[in-house]
Amino acid sequence: MSFPNDLLYSREHTWVRVDGDTATVGITDYAQDKLGEILSVELFPEDSSIEQGEPFGVIESLKVTTELISPVSGEIISVNEDLADDVGILNSDSYDTGWMIAVDIRDLGELDNLLNAEEYVDYVEEYEEVD
Amino acid sequence: MEKWRLIPFKHFDPFENMAIDEAIFRADRQGEMPPTLRLYGWKKPAVSMGYFQNAEREINCEYCRDRGIDIVRRPTGGLAVLHGNDLTYSLVAGENSPHFSSDIIETYRIISECIISGLDKSGVKAEMVEKGRIERGPAGAFCFATSYRNELLVDGKKVCGSAQVRARDMFLQHGSLLIDFDPAAVCAAIMTKGMKAGTLEASVTSIRKSVGDNVGIGTLCRNIAAGFEEVLNIHLIEGSLSPEEETLRNGLLENKYRNVRWNMGRGAKSGY
Repeated sequence: MSFPNDLLYSREHTWVRVDGDTATVGITDYAQDKLGEILSVELFPEDSSIEQGEPFGVIESLKVTTELISPVSGEIISVNEDLADDVGILNSDSYDTGWMIAVDIRDLGELDNLLNAEEYVDYVEEYEEVD
Repeated sequence: MEKWRLIPFKHFDPFENMAIDEAIFRADRQGEMPPTLRLYGWKKPAVSMGYFQNAEREINCEYCRDRGIDIVRRPTGGLAVLHGNDLTYSLVAGENSPHFSSDIIETYRIISECIISGLDKSGVKAEMVEKGRIERGPAGAFCFATSYRNELLVDGKKVCGSAQVRARDMFLQHGSLLIDFDPAAVCAAIMTKGMKAGTLEASVTSIRKSVGDNVGIGTLCRNIAAGFEEVLNIHLIEGSLSPEEETLRNGLLENKYRNVRWNMGRGAKSGY
């Protein structure tokens, strides 16, 4: 499993790529592996206002339906339309072509609540141990 | 011994059933409530469909409307079920509960073991699908047409379908245990992609088919509850919804589950 160093991560297993005031958001390699084959995803549309720790969509795999929890607050400025054609890229390329939404970040200070790659790996390992 | 809550068997309409389950699932954000097992029936036949299903494409809405069969969209995923002759359960617990796991398949397996134990007490010998299909089959929109790993078979035929939703470290699992099975009614109400009643009959069974009319619903409910108690080494205490859950249920009922936009449209995009 890979966790690129240039990303931030949430405890709800999303990643964030920050560029100025814009955050690109997707699910981590760990999340896609846990979900198994992803069948559908439904994301809040452009211009939706979303909150850190609150849903921004729902994802369905063969095993389960799961809420997607936003790692940042702000306005959705773009949704990855390619997912409508091939949701499989969430499994095969979750950090790149499998991005989900781009968000105009409302409060950059909220990024402090997120984890770096090393912290996220520790978090995932701890999470697995609980099982 | 850990105490769980059991909400005892009662019939409700489909909208009430989903509102109650989601209220239990949503209310316990701090993990303060014990895990909850709820057993229930349906006041009259109804179709529940998975969160992501498309009502127009996957359900015969005209047939259902003509016969007064209500259609409700579940918060859980999976495929459509025709209810009426089934015992439905919902289980809400934390992913980090010592009995369960963030591993989704493992959670299905543990719950299946509980049901197997309960069925065994009712004289029904069920087994788990060890190497079930791991991809969606060609059998259309009907839940029981496909068996996934860790689901339940009796005499090699599917008897119980299940689906889960997860959010913020909690999960809700729905399961439908067939007491009787009417393949012709299923083929009429749910789009089965050309699969005929005879084909379904060959791959789906029911408790009645296995043991006749020997097991009443009350006995079955007691046995299923006892199965959970034995396998998980817990004690189920009969209870009801908390005031917070009641409030949530009422809101979900009026704003979501009785709303045609939720049931016939699509979930997240409709703003729910």
